[in-house]
This record gives sequence, C-alpha cells and structure tokens, in this order.
Amino acid sequence: MDFFLLLIATGLVSGAAYGLIAMGFALIYKSTGVVNFAQGEMVMLTAYISYSLSTTFGLSFVPLMLLTIPISMLLGLALERIFIRPMLGEPIFAIVMVTVGLAVILRGVTIMIWGPDPFNFTAGISTEVVYVGSVPFYPAQLYLIAALGVLTLAGWIFLRFTRMGIAMRAVAANETAALLVGISVKRVHATAWAFSAAIASVAGVLFAANFKLAPDLWFQGLKSFPAVILGGLDSVIGSAAAGLVIGIIENLFQGYVGQGLREISGFIVIIIVLMVRPYGLFGSKDIERV
Amino acid sequence: MRTGNFKETAGQLVALSDSKVVWGWAAALLVLMVAAPFLIGNYQVTLMVSAMIAVIGAVGLNMLTGTTGLISLGQAGFLAVGAYTNAILMMDYGWPFWLSMPAGGVAAAIISIFVGVPSLRLKGLYLAITTLAFSFIINHIILYAEGLTHGPNGIFVSNAKLFGIDFQRGKALYYLTLGIVVITVFAALNIQRTRIGRAWMAIRDHDIAARVMGIDLVRYKLLAFVVSSFIVGIAGALISLQIRFVNIDVFALILSIEALAIIILGGLGSIAGAILGAIFLSFLPEAIRLFFGLFADPNSSFYTTYVYEIRGIAYGVVIVAILRLKPEGLIGLWRDIRKYWSNWPLAY
Repeated sequence: MDFFLLLIATGLVSGAAYGLIAMGFALIYKSTGVVNFAQGEMVMLTAYISYSLSTTFGLSFVPLMLLTIPISMLLGLALERIFIRPMLGEPIFAIVMVTVGLAVILRGVTIMIWGPDPFNFTAGISTEVVYVGSVPFYPAQLYLIAALGVLTLAGWIFLRFTRMGIAMRAVAANETAALLVGISVKRVHATAWAFSAAIASVAGVLFAANFKLAPDLWFQGLKSFPAVILGGLDSVIGSAAAGLVIGIIENLFQGYVGQGLREISGFIVIIIVLMVRPYGLFGSKDIERV
Repeated sequence: MRTGNFKETAGQLVALSDSKVVWGWAAALLVLMVAAPFLIGNYQVTLMVSAMIAVIGAVGLNMLTGTTGLISLGQAGFLAVGAYTNAILMMDYGWPFWLSMPAGGVAAAIISIFVGVPSLRLKGLYLAITTLAFSFIINHIILYAEGLTHGPNGIFVSNAKLFGIDFQRGKALYYLTLGIVVITVFAALNIQRTRIGRAWMAIRDHDIAARVMGIDLVRYKLLAFVVSSFIVGIAGALISLQIRFVNIDVFALILSIEALAIIILGGLGSIAGAILGAIFLSFLPEAIRLFFGLFADPNSSFYTTYVYEIRGIAYGVVIVAILRLKPEGLIGLWRDIRKYWSNWPLAY
C-alpha cells in the first residue's frame, strides 16, 4: 500500500509539471489556434532567467517568483510582438512553423548565454523532507502541486469572470465575430502569450527545483503533449487535470508494469482516449457546416 | 507571355506539362544530375545524397500532409521502421539490399495502416499528436526488442553489393538515390493527376464534403498513409545505407518536426515545393557553415565553443524570415519570380 501511495505521490508531482506546461499550450491554442512548439523552450528560458535572478539577488521563493513572472510576461509579449504578430492572418501552418523556428532560436540563445552544463537550482526552497500522512515529500514537490492548484483556480476565475478572459473565450469561439463586436484580437493574442509565458516560468522554476536545470528542459514541452491532448487542446483547466492523470498513469505503469513503459504509457493512453473521444476529455467539439 | 493556350480534351488538362520547354529543362536538369558526380568533389556528392534522401522523404510526407491534409508528426517512426527493416534483413538474414530496401518500404506501409486508423476519427492537430505518439511507441519497441533490433547497440550496415559494386560508396550510392528520386517524383506527379490524387485533394479540402461526393474515406485515407509511408520507408532504408549504422538516436522526434518544416517551408501540397524545401533545408546548415567561415575567425574561442548554437540560431532565423516574407513558402517565391519574368516588361 505504501508503494502504491508513493507512486501516486510522485505521479502527482510529475503530473503537476505536465499540467502546468500543458496549460501554457492550451492557453495559446485556445486564443490563437496555434500550437506553440516553443512552449518547452519558453519553460527552459524562463527557468534560466529565474536562476540568474536567484544567484544575483539571493532571493527566497516568493520574491523570486514575483520578479520572474513579470519578466517572463514581458518576454512573452516581446516574442509575440516580434515573431507572431506579423504573421496575423497568414495560414495557421506558417504560424506553427514560425514557432518551430522560434524554438530552435530560443534553444540556441539559452545555451549560448548559460552554457551546456546543468545547474543545481533550489529556487530558494528548503530541501528538508516533509511528511504528508506517511508519504515523504520534498517541499519543492509540494510547491509544484500547489502551484498547479493555484494557477488552475486563477485560470478558471480569469476565463470566467474577467473582461479579458471573456474576450479570450469569445475570440476562441469565433474570431471574426469577436472582431465585429469590438474585441481587440491582437490584444487578446498578446495577453495569451504573456500569461502562457508566466505559466511557463512557474513550471520551469519548479521543475528545475525538483529535478535539475539543464538545457534538455525544453524536451518536457514535447513530453507534455499527452496531457494537452487528453485534456482537449482548447481546454485550459482540462489540460491541468489531464496532466495529473498522465503523471499518475506513468508512475503506475513504471511501478507495476515495467521500467521502460513509463515514457510511452501516456501516449498509449491518449491513443485509446482519442479513439473514444476525438476531442479529448474536455475539448470542445467542432460542429461543421458542409 | 504565352498566349493562345487552349485545352481541348480532359487529357490535356491533367497532362504533366503542355510545354516542350518544361520537358527540355527537366531533361537538362537530369543530365546535369547524372553528370554531377564527375564535376564535384566527394564531400559534395555525400551532401547531395543526403539532400536527395530528404527529397524522397519530403515527397512522401507531402502526399500525406500536403495532398491529403493529414498532418503527421510520425515521420521519424516510419523512417526508423524502413531503416531498421533494411538493416535487419541485410545483416541478420543476409538479404541482398535490392530486396531488403523495398521490404523496408513495405514494413513502413504495413505499420502505417495501424497509425492510419485513428485518422478516420481524428482531425488536424489531434491526429498530428497521435502520429507523434505512434512514433514514440515505435522508437520504444525498437529500443526494447533487443532480440530483433539489437536495442541500444544499433546495427552496422555494410556489404550492399550488386555485380561487385558497393552501393554504399560515393558514386554508386549517388546513382541509386538519384534513380529512386526520379521514380518517386514521377510516381508522385502521376498519382496526383489520377482519381486517387483528386480524391485525396477533395479530402484535404473538406472530408465530409468528399464523402458526400462518393469518396470512400476509409479507403483513401488509409491509401494515403500506405503510399506515403512506403516512400518514407524507402528513404529510411537509404539513410541506413548512407550512414552505415542505424541507431535509435538517428530517428529522434525532432526529425519529424524537421520533415514537416521541409514541406511547409517548401510550400504545402506542391511536389516542386517539397523538393525545393528538402534541398533548401539540407543545404542550409552547410551554407551557414560557409557563411560563418567567411566572417568569423574559426579559432576564436567563442566561435568554436558555440558553433552549433550559432548555426542553430541562424537556421531558426532563416526559417522565420522566409515564412515572414512568403507564408506560402519557397514555391510561392518561385511562382512570383516566374510571373514577373513571363510578364516582363509589363507589371501584370
């Protein structure tokens, strides 16, 4: 039983990381219709920026995040303005490809600035083991799960009650109609990128604090795809929940079926789920007129 | 400007080209390609072989993604299946390479039926991610089925001989690849103008509408997967011949994204675009290397430390710049140039 609880606990931790990264994907997809292949790179870059801030100022976790998040949002705004905004109205394929190009650029820039060697990065979080019930946790793991909870709640409140959030859902539902009722689609896109970068920074810092800060962090972006798809590409809250599901499934596979199956179990699950529900668990179904 | 260009039969409308000049240029290009290995050095021949393999793979992917509109992020998986089938049959079972290469294509085509089944229900990016999932799973199976695939050790591929000629070396490999490129491109051009090609395009434009018009979606979607993967599998087999060593690292996920980059940058749905894109992206790293060789001091420590990163950034910048300039890709640029010169000196 303890083994099972331990698997669930570590599953929740890695699942929370997937969920956070997947939320970033979903937020951009929801408002712009583009899968941002540079999401993993944004996670990596913001984590490195936070690392530099932390070594320069020696901050503890909360002030560090208060500094990192605004900087990440500015970065997101800048990337949107430079790379994505000029492509507005062009074919979706071209825009997706621009994010692939952007990903290559960000990867190169990150390694050029910080070098290829991994860092130990605690993000000002203590490393003493805490017990929740009988299950041992590192504080960073609890922070990660808590961050997912807080951001999911914040995301729900934002999309449900704020003016900008409602505008974002309107753009997602119908971009032309949103333009006609006077919503600035450009501003919505910029906001989506800014918030997505903010979520990426939280994911990046906490992932690095849990594991390590290395230039292969971007690969977590690709590994979060099962969570994005399981939740439904355009469902921000759904992808957060799906992240946890995928994380737990991966760990159970690893614990009970076989070591190597961990990496592909998430993908096997989404193939099965998609055959039953082609728009993910929480995604909105396209109703087409022919 | 060409005038008086009338089409009187349906056959003329779907002809590959009605212009003798185009055929003339194509023949001239073929002669040039045949003569090329005698005019350039060994290193350049190797580069051209890589570019031609990329052309084969891109034409295959273009059939699936460009013509039928089924986005695939699983190309690395199909390449791996082709390469591994070829390597295993050649080295462990002693098949001659001219039999094991088509077998690689067939193996990829059979696998693609399983990958294709979800495409009957999924659309767009959901399908893309599902193919990505399959490619993950294929890589995993290759890594863990050690009895068959030698797992992480990889397989050395050698001894691809016919009539005493080693087809893994310079010119012989070049002509083998060139022959396959010519066959593939002709086959692809011809498939596009048959009922099958038109059915695929109808599915791309709107699959429900296509079904209403009497196109069997199950059959044609799976056919697109099978034909495209057969070609990609052959490209994989060629890769295994060229690099002489297959290992799972060769077929990393990033390869699938690069394959998609090739056909989008070239111009989606156009075979000429796929060819242009493949040639462009294959030679781009080399061009960037030469470019920095001109300006940077090769011995400066900054350059030598970060040479891969600098090239990577330049690669990304070029992709972004071309898409910004011409979202239809290189083929759009080519069409603009052609229009300009055929109308010259008039503007329209």
